[in-house]
Amino acid sequence: MTAAQEDPDWAGLRAVLPRATAASRPFWDGCRRGELLLSHCNVCGHVFYYPRRHCPSCAALDPGWKRSTGRGQVFSFTVVAVSFHGSGWESQLPYTVVLVDLDDGPRMMSRLIGPGRESVASGDRVEVVFPEIDGQRLPFFRKSG
Amino acid sequence: MPRVTEDVAIVGIGETPVGRLPGMSSVEIQAQAVLAALADAGFALSDLDGIINLDPYATPNSMFSTTLSEYLGVRPRFSTTIDVGGTVTGMTMLQQAAWAIESGFCTVAACVYGENTLTGRADNTQGLHMQNLLGGEEWEEPFGCQAMVIPYALVAQRYFDLYGAGPDDLGAVAVTTRAHALLNDNAQMRKPITLADHHASRPISSPLRLLDCSLISDGGGAVILVSGTAARKRGLRGVRIRSMAMRTTHNSAAVMPDISGFGMAEAARDAFASAGVAVSDIDVAQLHDAFTISVLVTLDALGFCPPGEAGAYVRSGATSLGGRCPVNTHGGLLSQAHVGGMLHIVEAVRQLRGAAGRRQVPDARLAAVSGNGGVFSVCGVMVLEQERAA
Repeated sequence: MTAAQEDPDWAGLRAVLPRATAASRPFWDGCRRGELLLSHCNVCGHVFYYPRRHCPSCAALDPGWKRSTGRGQVFSFTVVAVSFHGSGWESQLPYTVVLVDLDDGPRMMSRLIGPGRESVASGDRVEVVFPEIDGQRLPFFRKSG
Repeated sequence: MPRVTEDVAIVGIGETPVGRLPGMSSVEIQAQAVLAALADAGFALSDLDGIINLDPYATPNSMFSTTLSEYLGVRPRFSTTIDVGGTVTGMTMLQQAAWAIESGFCTVAACVYGENTLTGRADNTQGLHMQNLLGGEEWEEPFGCQAMVIPYALVAQRYFDLYGAGPDDLGAVAVTTRAHALLNDNAQMRKPITLADHHASRPISSPLRLLDCSLISDGGGAVILVSGTAARKRGLRGVRIRSMAMRTTHNSAAVMPDISGFGMAEAARDAFASAGVAVSDIDVAQLHDAFTISVLVTLDALGFCPPGEAGAYVRSGATSLGGRCPVNTHGGLLSQAHVGGMLHIVEAVRQLRGAAGRRQVPDARLAAVSGNGGVFSVCGVMVLEQERAA
C-alpha cells in the first residue's frame, strides 16, 4: 500500500532518507512498526534523543529503548518557502519544520504534515505519524487538536 | 578567570576584495590576505613562523595550514588548522596564536581564513553540507532541515514567542547594518534598504526573509600577531587581546536548547570578567550576524539591553554609527561579506587604530567581538583594546 492510499495527507511527500548507523538502526526499525523509540539509560533512567551508545547524563554504557507516546507540543517551527534540492523539491513547498517537546521528555526535530501545517503556533499539540517515503517510514508529526 | 595573554599585540590586518573572485582558489585567497596583513605590519614573508587557519567549508580540505605554508613559501615552527565552528574559529585562532607566541613556539603568527564560497562551491542548490554530526545529518535532513537558515529561523520564531518580538525587530538590524556597509568601499551590498524593503523581500524560512540572511562571499581576512616586545622594538602600536572566552552547548539544531541555554551570555560574562570590563565600557562591537536574529540574541546575551529588548535597542539608534555602541560598522556578514567572522576581527582592529575612515567610531578604545558556530552551538566573545601610547 502506498503512503497516499494510507492517508491522503501523505501523498507526494519527499524526504532525504536517513543513513542509519548500527547504534541508530533500532530507532528507524521502530518507525517501520509505527513505534517512536527513545533511548533510555538502564542505569539512571534518563530518556534522551538522539540515540547514543552512552548516557549523556550519567555516562553509563547501558542504553535501552523505551516507546514514546509520540505526543508533545511545538517548541518552535518554521515554514520553509525555498527548495534546497533544486526544482524537483518545489512540490514540497511550503513545508513546516518543527522542534517538538515530547511529553516523554526529549526535544526532537521533525516535520509537521497534514491540515493546519502552515498555521501552526508554538505550544500546539502534535502527535507522531509514520508516512512511508521510498520504503522508509519517517517520524513526522501532525496537529492533534 | 582565564588569562589569554599579558603582552601579545595584533600589529597587522589584511583583507582581500570580497564578492566574486572568479579564478581564485581558497589557498590563493588566504595567501593574499596573509601577504596584505604582513605588509600592513611591515614584516617580511620570511619573518612569518606561525600559521593558523581554517580550511574552506564549501570545499573541505585536510592539512590546510600545511598547504597554505607551502603555497606561501614559508617553513613555520608552529602551524595548525582550527575549526571550532563558524565565527568562533577566528577568535580561537587569535587566542592560540597568543599562547604560541607567549610560550615561544613562534614569534610572528598569521591567523587567516578565506575561501571562494561564492564561485567555488560544487553545488549551489543545497547550501553547505556541514557533515557535522557523526558523519551525517541523520536527525535533521529527513525532516527537511537543510543549510543554516532553517535552524536560525527556529531560533527567530522562539525569540518572537518568548518576547513578542516581530519582523520590525529583525528589519531594524538589516537596515542598520546595510547603512554601515554603504560606508565601506569593500562591501558586496551597495544599495540602501528600508524597513519596507526588508518586509517585502522574499520569504525564505519563516520568519526569516531574504534580507535577514547573510551573504555568500569569496574573500579572506588575516591578522598578524607578535609579542609586545617585538612590536615595541619596531615602534608598532598594536591592539591587545584583553580576553577571549567560549562556551559549547550542543551542535545540531535537532537538540537545540532554549535561547536561555545558549552559551553566549556565559562566554560574555567570562570574557568581560577576565578583561575586567563591563559591557558599558565597550565602544564598538562586531557581533555575529549570519542572520538578523543572531544580532538580537547576542545584544541581549552580552547585556547591551535587557533580554528581549534588542529590537527596541537597535531601533533607538544605539547600534548605529553615532549611537551608544555602534555594531558591525563594516557592514557585517549581512551586508559586507561572509568571511567567517575574520572581517569582524579586522574591523575591530581598524576601529581601535582609528583607521576606519568615514565609519570611524570616535575615540574607540575597547571593542567586543562575538562569534557563534552552528546555531549558537558554540559561542565566543573576545575583548580587544587599543594599546595606549608608551
